[in-house]
Amino acid sequence: MRREEIEAELLRWMSDPDWTRDEERFESLALALFRHQHATCEPYSRYCRSLLRGPENVTSVAEIPTVPTGAFKEFELRCFAADATLKIFRTSGTSTERRGQLLLDTLVLYEASLLSSLRRLLLVGIDPGREGPGHAVAASTAPTGKPIMRFFAPSALEAPDSSLSHMFDVLARKEGAAQSGFDLHDGRLDLVAFAEGIRLGQNLDRPMLIGGTSFAFVHWLDATANDTASEAAERWRLPAGSRVMETGGFKGRSREVPRERLRAELADRFGLLPEAIVNQYGMTELGSQFYDSTLLDPTGPRRKLAPPWTRVRFVDPDVGRDVGPGEVGMVVIHDLANTGSIAAIQTADLGRSVLDDAGRSIGFDIVGRASGAEARGCSIATDTMLEASGGTAS
Amino acid sequence: VTNKLEIDWPDRAVERVRAARGRLELAAAELVDWPLAERIGALARVVEAWTAPDSVWRRELAEALGASSPFDPRTVRAGLDDALGAWRAADFAALCRRELALVLEDDEMELLPFEWTAVLAGGSIPMPTLLSTWLPLVLGSPVLLRETTHDRETADLLGRSLEAVDRRLGRAFEAIHFPHEDEPALTAFLEAPCVVATGSDETIASIRSRLAPATRFTGYGHRFSIGLLGPELASDRALLERAARGIALDVARWDQSGCLSPAVVYLLGLREPARADLAHAIHEALERITAEMPRGELSPGARTDHASERAEARMREAGGRGAQLFEGEEHTLVLEADAHPRPAPLHRFLRLMPVADAGELERALEPFRGMLSTSFIAGFPEPAEAEIRSALSGLGLSRYARPGTLQCPPIDWPHDGMPLLTPMARLVRNG
Repeated sequence: MRREEIEAELLRWMSDPDWTRDEERFESLALALFRHQHATCEPYSRYCRSLLRGPENVTSVAEIPTVPTGAFKEFELRCFAADATLKIFRTSGTSTERRGQLLLDTLVLYEASLLSSLRRLLLVGIDPGREGPGHAVAASTAPTGKPIMRFFAPSALEAPDSSLSHMFDVLARKEGAAQSGFDLHDGRLDLVAFAEGIRLGQNLDRPMLIGGTSFAFVHWLDATANDTASEAAERWRLPAGSRVMETGGFKGRSREVPRERLRAELADRFGLLPEAIVNQYGMTELGSQFYDSTLLDPTGPRRKLAPPWTRVRFVDPDVGRDVGPGEVGMVVIHDLANTGSIAAIQTADLGRSVLDDAGRSIGFDIVGRASGAEARGCSIATDTMLEASGGTAS
Repeated sequence: VTNKLEIDWPDRAVERVRAARGRLELAAAELVDWPLAERIGALARVVEAWTAPDSVWRRELAEALGASSPFDPRTVRAGLDDALGAWRAADFAALCRRELALVLEDDEMELLPFEWTAVLAGGSIPMPTLLSTWLPLVLGSPVLLRETTHDRETADLLGRSLEAVDRRLGRAFEAIHFPHEDEPALTAFLEAPCVVATGSDETIASIRSRLAPATRFTGYGHRFSIGLLGPELASDRALLERAARGIALDVARWDQSGCLSPAVVYLLGLREPARADLAHAIHEALERITAEMPRGELSPGARTDHASERAEARMREAGGRGAQLFEGEEHTLVLEADAHPRPAPLHRFLRLMPVADAGELERALEPFRGMLSTSFIAGFPEPAEAEIRSALSGLGLSRYARPGTLQCPPIDWPHDGMPLLTPMARLVRNG
């Protein structure tokens, strides 16, 4: 199977609003993609050879060698010629640090993947035309119409190598109202513009979507902490049907806030139910993202949902084999949207499957990062050293 | 039906803190009446009781920690024997006399002990807990120790050892444990006029921000240690073997998880094949030491860290990036091609990083200015060693040692470059 054929098949899959899971289809595409990437990405093929694994003896997804996210800092992991590079997304860090990068020669699959997830898991209920059967969240109360979107992130123009800014930009262009925009400029939150955006949403009684990094939300909460209850209600209460998407960690960028507390504080300040606060689990190195289930399934347990063209595994880090159902393991992701890069990624996160009463997996949880996982260059490497040595200070 | 009613009183940690404070303030009077020179002598006897080769306290602690901590019991025993064996009661007494000379030798200078001192322990290595308790007692200030979650064994033995030497010391020490989220208990605890804390930089900053302006505060944040190896190792096989054995000890002790553990070793002026020879020797020494000091149980996070960093190093090795990976059953060694900062997963994961000279070393360490604790150094002629120490003098290293002794500082080592007693002392001049 050529890459073009794999991508065409994936695009068909991504256009299915019901996200039909098909293990046979996934396995077949994943193995075809592995063969392609092994043949075209030299650092990957050398790595596979060092593990004595290749197309000749890899017969299942679980056998595909996975690349640690740190390798994206060391190598140009691409399956195309360098001069075909169309876009580079980089992990956060300063100009002097070594940063991970995802190189792309096309954005078609990348954007199809992100839009499919956003429509199904974040915008569900806003546009009744896209709502699936039985997905009732907010649909009965939320007005229709394109939502006004405001983002606590720099625009794609200001941060052209930020995958998050690109995602928000695509989302706003494709699904947002004309009044959508970015409220973080030159590293500063523009509270006036943000308040104005909310006021507009309130006046139009149009659902809003607020997106941003978790640490930016913490700064916003801190900056508005002295608002009285009535001021907060007047300025920040979002229209019915609104929702908030937060992503990323806090390390070195704001005070640390437990995820549950951040969710509760955001819900309180915006006047929303906690179910409307959705966390995204994603990383620059991936072409797909994972969102909380709460808008799609408000009565079920909060967990991350994976698009069907991805497989999230939890493995014993010592031996690389899958752990038992529901057990904590190192998160390994096979993301078929990564056609031009490497699809099999080994993260430094810990997670586990969430099971239903019958023991079937219905999603997953991230239960924490490994201590060194946030190393993104020297300043954070310092942190990592200290953090790690801090386990038992002497 | 039981005829025995068991109650837990006071049932709230904040009440236990207040009750302990009341008892300690009563005990303070006895300490203050006790001449300083005699107090120093009594505490020196406590130090002797812990550091003597046949110390029952040490043996009991080794057994208790071996059973309750994630460290292997043999590693705990060796860690305690090596660290406490390097402490001398005479050095402790000399340290006290030296730092308090201005009180001991000047009749007009008076030591005014704090009514009580709150000691917030951190980590799971007991030596800092022992020393942080002994020092305020020397100064005449009773101690309320908040035990760390990782070590619930040391405090009890510490209290009994104080009592065994002198009942006044026993009465001047209490230990308590409460979860960090217990705000009322923490608030009551931090009402102490003198607070000593060990923990993460965030913890130290958080505690500092909660203290009243007049509170005396000594905080020990997290640091990490390094190693420096020089060109003489390339020409002296015996020196190389000794260094390798010493490095293996430094890495294996407490599973490389303390501030005195080497996170990275820099190779100055060592070229190939000497670098690879050295890496092989350290790898083999780490392999051998597993039999006497096995690695303890790793958390899932630490295991994931190791897997990630191993895979990343393997990929660089396979990709011709110059890294060489040495994998043992219980350790990982990576001979890097450069000194670019990389994560340090610890738990017996060591990186060797080449640098051309002292200038490049200084540049490599610059991001860690003020965060370094100790360095071992070996393989340099004396003038070169002095030059390196001079080049690194501004980075905050407070001790240089030989490989194998990094985790065994003398008791009078100026932790983080500070005097040990005087930061907790309150002085008055009468005249």
